[in-house]
Amino acid sequence: MRRIAVLVVALAVAATACGPSGAVDVTDIPPLPETTAEEVRTLLATSERPVVLNIWASWCGPCRSEAPLLRRAHRRHGDEIRFVGVDVRDAQDEARAFLAEFDLDFEHYFDRPGEVQRELGGIGVPQTLFYAPGGDLVFHHNGVIDERTLALQIDELLRTG
Amino acid sequence: MEFSLLGAVLVAVVAVWAVLRFEAGRTNAADCSRDLWDALLLAGIVGLAVGRVVAMLRDGTNPITTPGDLLIVRSGVDTAGASAAALLTFGWTMRRALWWMADAAAAAALAGLAGWHAGCLVRESACLGTPTDLPWALTQAGSPVGRHPVELYAALLLALAAVGFVLWKRFARPPAGVLGSLAIAVAAGSRLATEPMRPSLGSGPVWLYAAGLVAGVGLAGWRWLRPAVVRT
Repeated sequence: MRRIAVLVVALAVAATACGPSGAVDVTDIPPLPETTAEEVRTLLATSERPVVLNIWASWCGPCRSEAPLLRRAHRRHGDEIRFVGVDVRDAQDEARAFLAEFDLDFEHYFDRPGEVQRELGGIGVPQTLFYAPGGDLVFHHNGVIDERTLALQIDELLRTG
Repeated sequence: MEFSLLGAVLVAVVAVWAVLRFEAGRTNAADCSRDLWDALLLAGIVGLAVGRVVAMLRDGTNPITTPGDLLIVRSGVDTAGASAAALLTFGWTMRRALWWMADAAAAAALAGLAGWHAGCLVRESACLGTPTDLPWALTQAGSPVGRHPVELYAALLLALAAVGFVLWKRFARPPAGVLGSLAIAVAAGSRLATEPMRPSLGSGPVWLYAAGLVAGVGLAGWRWLRPAVVRT
């Protein structure tokens, strides 16, 4: 029993040491530009590349959980696909801290009233929408996304977009 | 809200239960089913939890400061951590008769894994893999791209192995530990064979599957040549 207790304490200490990557200083992140549903529709319609649109909020646990996956997807496919984040019903400081913590270095917009989320459909956050060039919706994923789904839908975008 | 993951877990649990029930009194001792059920369930739960913690640490998320993230299993479970934890848990709970109990659990464990993969049918796009022109290719709704039903391939391989193990035990019981070891090899081999057909954002832990296959075959060979004996 004592050995198990020691092991648990050791693991807890090790886990505490492994904090978030925090590779970016929050002061390096500029305030997120405000946007509206209309502006996002225009962005989607005029994009020459397929778009992965992620709707997130810093207070949303599942958004934190999927953030490393989106970072990885952007690093791998950022040249072929435009990654866009829309932060909804949030505060600027928290949003910037979230981006710094997860080093999400693709374009992000701020939508305090959550208009984009309402207009593009779906309930709650996170949501991930996949658009072909020109703005046609290819796939809409509600809730936290997994690697398989993200990779599959990116592949679909690249083959059909 | 979608319940595909929960559905897959349910199919896996039912498959384990069904095989244990079928084997009780036929190819397994009638009184060991409950112990096996408890041990397999515990191994699955511990494996899932440890795999999730390892995935969080790998992604730079602290499980101490954000314990709620542990429950968001869909975000990722580290296969190496989960497999090691599940095997160690099973080994520890069954340490008094490890090789015999591993043999008794082998078919049920493979059936559970088969059920887990077949659970993709709850949400068909979860079965899809890399593109193919084969006649049995599946497509996502609204897409012209045919894809390998890769999870169904894995489910089929594992289910066939589970049936093969039951038949083997019924007609020619191999030395203790051989089936349990081969189950590890089959589980790893089925992933190794299907991994190239899975869409992913990086290479999967192919080294782990290869290591599992070699270790499983090696252990089986060792137990075949030097059968375990009951210590009194």
